[in-house]
Amino acid sequence: MTTLTRPAAPADTSARAGFPQAVRAEWLKLWSVRSTWWTVAATIGLGGFMTILICALNAEWLASADADEAPATFLTWGLMLAQICAVVLGALVVTGEYSTGMVRTSFAAVPSRGRVMAAKSVVLSGVLLVLGVVVALIGYAGGNWFFEREGIGVPLEGDMLRAVLGSGLFLAGIGLFTVAVGFILRHTAGTISAVLALMLIVGNMVSLLPGATGEWLTKLMPGNAGSGIAQAIAWNPDLLSPWAGFGVFVLETSALMALAWMVVRRRDA
Amino acid sequence: MIQARALTKRFGDKTAVDGLDFTVEPGRVTGFLGPNGAGKSTTMRMVLGLDRPTSGSVTVNGRAYADSPAPLRQIGALLDAHAIHPGRSARDHLRWMAASNGIPTHRVGEVLDLVGLDTVAGQRAGRFSLGMGQRLGIAAALLGDPPVVVLDEPVNGLDPEGIRWVRHLARQLADEGRTVFVSSHLMSEMALMADHLLVIGRGRILADTSMQRFLTDHATSFVRVKAPGLPAVATLLDRAGLDLERVDDALHVTGLDAAGVGELVGREGHVLHELTLVQSSLEDAFMRLTADSVEYRTHAPAELEGASA
Repeated sequence: MTTLTRPAAPADTSARAGFPQAVRAEWLKLWSVRSTWWTVAATIGLGGFMTILICALNAEWLASADADEAPATFLTWGLMLAQICAVVLGALVVTGEYSTGMVRTSFAAVPSRGRVMAAKSVVLSGVLLVLGVVVALIGYAGGNWFFEREGIGVPLEGDMLRAVLGSGLFLAGIGLFTVAVGFILRHTAGTISAVLALMLIVGNMVSLLPGATGEWLTKLMPGNAGSGIAQAIAWNPDLLSPWAGFGVFVLETSALMALAWMVVRRRDA
Repeated sequence: MIQARALTKRFGDKTAVDGLDFTVEPGRVTGFLGPNGAGKSTTMRMVLGLDRPTSGSVTVNGRAYADSPAPLRQIGALLDAHAIHPGRSARDHLRWMAASNGIPTHRVGEVLDLVGLDTVAGQRAGRFSLGMGQRLGIAAALLGDPPVVVLDEPVNGLDPEGIRWVRHLARQLADEGRTVFVSSHLMSEMALMADHLLVIGRGRILADTSMQRFLTDHATSFVRVKAPGLPAVATLLDRAGLDLERVDDALHVTGLDAAGVGELVGREGHVLHELTLVQSSLEDAFMRLTADSVEYRTHAPAELEGASA
């Protein structure tokens, strides 16, 4: 076996491990494991095609006189499943590194931990933003085709357009929320369970608290506050308006990310 | 060059690394030797900025690791073979590492060739044997063509051919003027690889010396003597001022070589059944050195101050 290394050259000072390099590295990491491709496929399948199926099955009823729901509500139905996929992807990009020990290689290559976290966040939120819009468009286009045949088509404008674009915003946000939890917990199953429990179970349970406390906690829970942006017609009319709710969700995610950064930069890798 | 100054790491009330002062010089292979749990890996993680020192500091080429604009070009490290995602191919692992430090992509192919993984580069790293994982880790360490190379237990899991290859590689990197810092818990391996030796036990430096010096200082030798009239021979040698130790039916004599002992005994007309020069192995020397540190620690912690200087 040959071991022809070159003589030690003086370190090349032009090369940098800066933020653009860290983003490129995270992009390569994301797409070089199969779990990413599976999760993206699942998001499109569950979020997009399940919406089409539900719309196809309900189109006739929605067009009838018995219908007590608006067609636009059904066109964003897949969000419920897509958000779970976003949580899984957000967890995997972080906890996949902790469970394999690869996070040490990551921090050795890019010693600024804030830079690693920021690069991961930029890549993941960018991917989920596009994915969320694509999934919503697939669901809308397919579902609306059945609605139009029944004469109840919804035009892609106003709240419907906002919901399609908002689907990208919400998935990106939920991905970042999970990334922050992942950096704090460092454990795949723990991270996914914690985020899903908070969004899907605790988010509903706090409404059982009496009076204004329960009312406001319900409005402010991250899943409740953030998901309105991705719904053409609010599933629950008692929640915050779409943009106000999303603003609350962005603040909550930012606070959690700041906490994660404080924990990660102090901790031994 | 790697410089540690009063480098200390505590985990709770356990002191893993206790005020280390050392310099790892370029152009030679420095062995970092100590039993498991002595603090080798913790020290190496602090060199790479992964663990934060409780106190003291360590620098690479004069600055803290985290301050390097492109760390993989300053120092390449094999930390442990598991610091790799099992679902990612060897080539993809090296590609993201190269991208993170602005290292040209053609280096990936070069280091894969260098470590002999070019034919399996597309396979997922999780399918690799321990030895192949080590080779991938070494490829990652050499990716940035760094002047400082740190290898934590590089021969773990390697077959004899692989061990020879690592030995040869370490030598070549040092000959090229690089700083090479290799840890091991195997004295015999260090004796073959290292020019300079840093021995650590219980988080403290027990020896910081050239390999040659370590051999003369610590690998003691004695002459084993067997004779039918052993007590008489013992009296004779004792009178000559030699150090004696009775082990079973033999005497272990220090202070004179075999020829000297033979002449002394022969002049008095004693019969000898055996006269052998016994050189204790490096492994023995290492065990004695680290065992002492453990003993001092248990019985009289205060005395360690002098012993470890």
